[in-house]
Amino acid sequence: MNRFTASAVALLAMAALVAPAGAASKGPAAGKAVHVGVIADVTGGAGVYGTPQKNAYELANDDIKSGKLDAGGANLTFDVQDAATDGAQVVNLMQKFTTDGSTAIVIGPTLSGEAFKAFPLAARANFPAMGTSTTAEGVTAIGPTIYRDALAESQVIPTTVARTHAKWKYKTAAIIYGDDNAFTKTDYDVFKRELEKAGVQVVDTETFHIKDTDFQAALTRIDSKKPDVIAIGGLFPEATKIIAQAGKLGIKAHMMGGNGLNSPEMYAVAGPAAQGVVVGAAWALAGKYPSNERFVKSYTAKYGKAPDQFAAQSYAAAEIVAYLVAHGAVTKDEMLSGLRGVRVIQTVLGPLGFDANRDVKSSPVILEIVKNGFAYFH
Amino acid sequence: MFAQQLLNGLFLGAVYALFAVGYTLVFGVLDILNLAHAAIFTAAAFAAFSLVAAGVPLPAAFLLAAIFAGLLGILLDRVAFAPLRKRNAGTLVPLISSIGVAIIIGAVLRAVYGVDERHFTLGGLDTAPAIHLGPITFTTVELTIFLAAIALMVVLSWILRSTTLGRRIRAVADDRIAAALLGVDLEKTIAATFFIASSLGGAAGVLTGLEYNSVTLDMGGPIELKGLAVIILGGMGSITGAVIGGFILGAVETFAVAYGLSPWRDALVFGVMFVLLVARPTGLFGKRALRQA
Amino acid sequence: MPGALVDFYAKHSRLIDQIGVNALLALSLSVSLQAGQLALAQAAFMGIAAYVSAILAMQAHWPLIATILAAVLVSTVVAALLALPVRRLRGVFLAIATIGFGEIVRVFANNLSITGGAEGLSGIPNDATTPVIYGSLAVVAFVLFALSRTKFALAVTLVREDEHAARGVGVDVGMVRTLSLALGGAIAGLGGALYAHASFFLTPTDFGFARMEQILVWCVIGGVTSPLGAVIGAALLSILPEVIRFLSDWREVTNGVILLLVILFAPGGLSSLWRRGAIRVR
Repeated sequence: MNRFTASAVALLAMAALVAPAGAASKGPAAGKAVHVGVIADVTGGAGVYGTPQKNAYELANDDIKSGKLDAGGANLTFDVQDAATDGAQVVNLMQKFTTDGSTAIVIGPTLSGEAFKAFPLAARANFPAMGTSTTAEGVTAIGPTIYRDALAESQVIPTTVARTHAKWKYKTAAIIYGDDNAFTKTDYDVFKRELEKAGVQVVDTETFHIKDTDFQAALTRIDSKKPDVIAIGGLFPEATKIIAQAGKLGIKAHMMGGNGLNSPEMYAVAGPAAQGVVVGAAWALAGKYPSNERFVKSYTAKYGKAPDQFAAQSYAAAEIVAYLVAHGAVTKDEMLSGLRGVRVIQTVLGPLGFDANRDVKSSPVILEIVKNGFAYFH
Repeated sequence: MFAQQLLNGLFLGAVYALFAVGYTLVFGVLDILNLAHAAIFTAAAFAAFSLVAAGVPLPAAFLLAAIFAGLLGILLDRVAFAPLRKRNAGTLVPLISSIGVAIIIGAVLRAVYGVDERHFTLGGLDTAPAIHLGPITFTTVELTIFLAAIALMVVLSWILRSTTLGRRIRAVADDRIAAALLGVDLEKTIAATFFIASSLGGAAGVLTGLEYNSVTLDMGGPIELKGLAVIILGGMGSITGAVIGGFILGAVETFAVAYGLSPWRDALVFGVMFVLLVARPTGLFGKRALRQA
Repeated sequence: MPGALVDFYAKHSRLIDQIGVNALLALSLSVSLQAGQLALAQAAFMGIAAYVSAILAMQAHWPLIATILAAVLVSTVVAALLALPVRRLRGVFLAIATIGFGEIVRVFANNLSITGGAEGLSGIPNDATTPVIYGSLAVVAFVLFALSRTKFALAVTLVREDEHAARGVGVDVGMVRTLSLALGGAIAGLGGALYAHASFFLTPTDFGFARMEQILVWCVIGGVTSPLGAVIGAALLSILPEVIRFLSDWREVTNGVILLLVILFAPGGLSSLWRRGAIRVR
């Protein structure tokens, strides 16, 4: 051991003594303030999705302070602003963040429709922005500064259909989807394409509106067509009721869905009818990545319930930004070049990177609802 | 399939009707549209959820939540409508103040309960096997809800027809000034009207929460506009009109889907309503109906 | 412009544009209300025009002004046609029939492929600049002012205050109602076309009942029969959510409380306040 390494080891040992357990490293941005603007629908119709997002960023703020999330010693904060599920407020917030001179990157908004209104502002200002739940087709194509860490339905559903088809060997399917929402409409497009590709005949298609509660008329009609499998293009508030009501009507067909169904609500609400439902998703509550286990534990401790995928994808965005900051990104331009140089970052979603279209590169997980939880579908 | 769809429509229509009769009672007596009715519907469902969670037996929780909704209705009137009534502010202005109250109720519920869906602990009632009768399938919960909704509407009709209070309410609806001249205490009668109307709306909220075992902040959203359509289609303040309108709505919604028109469901609902209104410009039953109740 | 103003505009231009568009929408409803018509289809007229102008710009590559004129023409015709079947409806019955019409339009926007359905239309040219929006508002204000000095305005007031009396003095009530609805449709269409060209993206939910409720609230808060009141109502309520942003968790409830207090304090709308003031001055 030469003198240089010896002193380095000594320094490291001192650092370990001084810093609290799990302390952040001292990166090039140490001591600098980095402000991240977060746009989330905490109130209004999408509050059920925006609130877990807000929770995740507040947890990230705690974790950065305590050193559990490494931002290289920078004073990194996520400033969550509520857009109240109002497109006008989303746009105003995007303008505020991109012009205030202190924000380094914007994360959010919550809905794809909002993203199409707000991301063009970021793209025009050459300002980095990242979606965590805006999975509609074309969001990242808005501009070369727009990223997303959320697997789109088109990245998740093909595997879901392939895996279930291999196991269940179904010949006919029905699709039920929300026709007034970009996310659920995309579900329909992808399910239809993939089912037909697999040689499955789609015998019935039914639609509903977001926030509907009664699906019995549609399910009764689906039942009369006797499909082998029902594909649900929806989000969990509606999907739980679809599954429970199908159970009540005695419908025996297999059921499956995409990212929108990846919520603890699914087994908590839909009851026994939900068992066996297959969910293709971007993240698993039980994922064995180190930061995920810590995230699930501390989120559950802080908020009294397990996180859902909205929270996980938001926390992953926080991890990505923290990683970039730890590597020296402080300004919006540094953030942008950092994003462009990303190879692989370890997050709660697993290791992820970005492809040439700035969409996330990671693998979907196929889950099956079992009693009181999700298991991997085999 | 037809029998099952008819049953689906009836079950749906019963709750719509119950929501609408309370809505229309205020409309008939005061000539105002109360856009906070859906917020009270939601608040009552949350109240029942809390009561059941605290161990209160379900029937008692249902009753207490309805009474809570009734009291909330009286408070609503005092805060949002009474001050405007004194100033003869017309019909449009109270609409806006009721929107204000609805926003406040929603914000308070969100602060207290958060955004997550809540569920009743029904102790097995919700997992009881469905009943199969020939071509139709239903659950005990659904049947109970249907009967409860019908019973409440019968009770309302009896109150309006056969009690002193009912006669006073009808007199105020008929002609407020004449009723006052005849010695009817206007403010007391209006308070009673709000209590009855809101407790019925609250009961509809609890029943809707039970039917889908789901209580959410925006559960009143879809029913607000449809309920409005129902009461206006039914005719100014007509209880019969609201009940029939509720069942028409349930049937149109169900059969639109049953015949493969689910993407056009709401267009059909409002299309039917539009045509009926054009044919009968004062609604199906007009204002007379409440007076005769 | 001085530097501070340039900076202010750079930070708030979107909100400033929203205020202009919202003022047009409020004016469009105000025109119907002045004729005593509680016709609540403004969101639908706005939506129809927004789609027409966006589609013409994106697919036919029409210039902005042409798409706006075409959109206004379409929404005016639709409003005039809607006036026919609803001519016997009054008050809340008219309100709910026109809301129903709005819902039907929304369902069509959701199901047609040319509108992009629920996935919406994205990438609309963003060329409705602040001068275009406020220029349009100025034109509308001028037209309304000019109209207010004509016999038509007198007829409108008569129809609102007493339809029978209006008939008695020979006013063609049906024509007045149709014209005022069509004029409202034209202004809403202008607002809708500008909305499309200021938003990058359209989706059917932009034109639903929630939007209609919003427009109605602006008008009533401003003062039902006052065009200036409608504009002020729209402006203040568009700014409000951003002004009270610092309240964070208390913002939603404060929003409701302010709405309630304003309407209780000034049931005649904000315009009634300065009218009262004016009377006192005299």
